[in-house]
Amino acid sequence: MLSSASRDSVVSVFDGFRIDLDDHNDRRERLIKSSRDITNLSKKAIFLLHRIMTDDAPSGEQDDRSRNARAAARGREKLKEIQKLFAVVGEEVAGDRFWRYQRNVSPGLQEYIEALSFTHYLETGKLISYNEVQQTLCSESGVSYFPLPLEDYLLGLSDLTGELMRYAISAISQRGGRIKASNVCTFVRNCKADFEVYTPHIRDLRKKQNVTAQSLEKIEDAAYTIAVRSSEYDIPLDMLDDFVARTVAMESGGGGKKRPRDGDHDRDADDEY
Amino acid sequence: MDSDNVDRINQLLEQDVELREKIKDQVAEFDKKTRTMSGILNRIHSTPSDGLPALLTSVQPVLDSCKDVTASLAAIIPPNQFWRWKEMWSISLRNAVFSAALIHYLQHGTLLSLSEATDILGIKSEWQDRFSLPIEDYLHGLITLVNELSRLAVNSVTLGNFEQPIKISVFVKDLFAGFSMLNLKNDTLRRRYDSLKYDLKKIEEVVYDVSLRKLAPSAKAENPAPMVE
Repeated sequence: MLSSASRDSVVSVFDGFRIDLDDHNDRRERLIKSSRDITNLSKKAIFLLHRIMTDDAPSGEQDDRSRNARAAARGREKLKEIQKLFAVVGEEVAGDRFWRYQRNVSPGLQEYIEALSFTHYLETGKLISYNEVQQTLCSESGVSYFPLPLEDYLLGLSDLTGELMRYAISAISQRGGRIKASNVCTFVRNCKADFEVYTPHIRDLRKKQNVTAQSLEKIEDAAYTIAVRSSEYDIPLDMLDDFVARTVAMESGGGGKKRPRDGDHDRDADDEY
Repeated sequence: MDSDNVDRINQLLEQDVELREKIKDQVAEFDKKTRTMSGILNRIHSTPSDGLPALLTSVQPVLDSCKDVTASLAAIIPPNQFWRWKEMWSISLRNAVFSAALIHYLQHGTLLSLSEATDILGIKSEWQDRFSLPIEDYLHGLITLVNELSRLAVNSVTLGNFEQPIKISVFVKDLFAGFSMLNLKNDTLRRRYDSLKYDLKKIEEVVYDVSLRKLAPSAKAENPAPMVE
């Protein structure tokens, strides 16, 4: 009698909690889904940029600058689609909600920053600034959808170096690609130095810095091959391209495998003792 | 990176570092208070029922002083950033809820509600986006309460209080029925909820032992000297 009355009141209170918790879980699911959609679209934008930069230029487009501008313009179109998704996310995380769901939104946001910064690099040759990224996440009236977390900004940029490595390596085999590769090399080296000071503050940045270091090394090795080969007189340009292509194939295939193989070797040695 | 951007980043970083330090100081304070309370409340397992009110009164000032910490935190946290920092203090907050709920149960025999817990900790509704008591943290506190009560059920019998396990059993079953209403995700709350059934089982065994040996209050009248055996 008495116990059933107290049971009823407890249950009705928890009923209210359930509604609240369900609401929270549903919202989180929706945001995870949005983040995944944003990631997908961002990856597509990055692939699109790579394609435009490596495709044979259409006749009439002679210089690199117009090709870059064309790529950036197409990139911007794609990015606009993503920005629409961010507008929806913004409504979902209004007020104090943003930081509750920041971790659910962050993967998509970082991928978007990667695509955005790649576009920005092709357009201007510069690293996009924090404020510039935040400006792309604003409504037309200038109200930001949510505050841009510093860690997402830096981690997104850190992924850019990997894309630039791919861009530089594939550019090397193109006419004028060597200057491009050397520019990228300098740029990535600066990025690495710039980000280093933030590693103590941003979790995961250390790991990404290591990836950046690997990317940088690949570009440097490719650049080295070119320098060595170009110093030899009398070598035709197309042959030089063959050399580079070979180095690239070795690097992109061998770079990852090398270390595990060393590890295997050590393990074998240990087993013997 | 151009210098404007570096300045902007450093400015954001410095703000965060400074804020984190300030929060840490408050959390250390909060933690000290909740440890003090748990320390005192641990004595309920060895204090006979007639000594309990005095014991509970002695915790009250510490519990009241938690209001200072929540007020300081609410003053430090920037608008809309509650969820950004809350993990720094959620353990302390859960422990504070636990102590408050335990005191409330021992004084009134009922469940401390979320809004009562919020009031006791001095959390104001206008702080909503800077400091609040989330349902999850409240529920964590209640699970700790059940853990503690299953111990109390055992120890109260040792102290000769045969009524307590039965009261605890009813109370905890009600709470468990409440928790069963929730659709919990695979998180720590879910795991801790799953462990509640062991507490329930332990309490049931105590109730069983007490009833079987006719030590329970209803049987007491017939057998006035249950301890003699």
